[in-house]
Amino acid sequence: MSGFGRKDWSPYLAGALAGIVLVASVWVSGHYVGASTSYVRVAGYVEKAFDPGRVDANAYYGRTKLKIDWQMMFLAGIVIGAFVSSRLSGDFKVAFVPPMWRDRFGPGVVKRAFVAFLGGIVAMFGARLADG
Amino acid sequence: MELVYGAITGVLFGFLMQKAQVLRYDKQVGALRLVDFTIVKFMLSTVIVAMVGIYVLKDQGLLQLSVKTAIVGANVVGGIFFGLGWAIVGYCPATAAGAVGEGRWDALFGILGMLAGAMVYAEAYPLVKKTILTWGNLGKITLPEVLGADPWWVIGVLTVICAVLFLLFEVRKA
Repeated sequence: MSGFGRKDWSPYLAGALAGIVLVASVWVSGHYVGASTSYVRVAGYVEKAFDPGRVDANAYYGRTKLKIDWQMMFLAGIVIGAFVSSRLSGDFKVAFVPPMWRDRFGPGVVKRAFVAFLGGIVAMFGARLADG
Repeated sequence: MELVYGAITGVLFGFLMQKAQVLRYDKQVGALRLVDFTIVKFMLSTVIVAMVGIYVLKDQGLLQLSVKTAIVGANVVGGIFFGLGWAIVGYCPATAAGAVGEGRWDALFGILGMLAGAMVYAEAYPLVKKTILTWGNLGKITLPEVLGADPWWVIGVLTVICAVLFLLFEVRKA
């Protein structure tokens, strides 16, 4: 198996190609890549559905400006690109517990989901604080 | 058009990250445990190529840098939280999206947590702004500016360091 159907490209090659994509993106559209700002926007939209006043009054949502923008499409594109790539190589497989996790913490889905949720909270708080 | 460019860039990134297998919990936690350097190889390769490409085009006047403000307190405290959280969830904000695309749906719970984390940050922002975001604001600085060196020297040195690291990875493997 070679090319698009292959499961494992060299990380050096794939990484270098990603670098070229990044440069092309900045050149063509002026956009550097990022992801975490979009989580703020989606969170703002979700919160707005329940309590619009709270979102309107919040300085951080005001500063971030809720909108569907380049970066949100970038994130959606990542989901699609990963799906296409994994389907082409037969790598796509629905799983809820990663192998390394299972070896250490067992096959329980609820435990994994709960910890992933908690980790997500901490990681995103840190990402926004560091503005990265 | 803006949105189409975003989607195309995302599809290419998602494709390449999936092919390099960096969307996996095992690879990300493996790197943090210093047992699997796949994502380090991927990220540093991206950084080297992008660093050179961006500065070549910048020198031609074809694009501008987008420099973020360096705030020591925010970067250090935020970095510690991010590192802890990343090690616990096993996906970063971008790879969590990619992981969902290849069927690793524990990442969905990570994404829900990240959305909750964004809400928590939005609530904490007024307090954070008065405190952590004021600790050591250095402004929009770059490494070449701080060192007072030509950017190409910095790029050259960083590239050599990465090359040595890559060599060590491959020697260790052999």
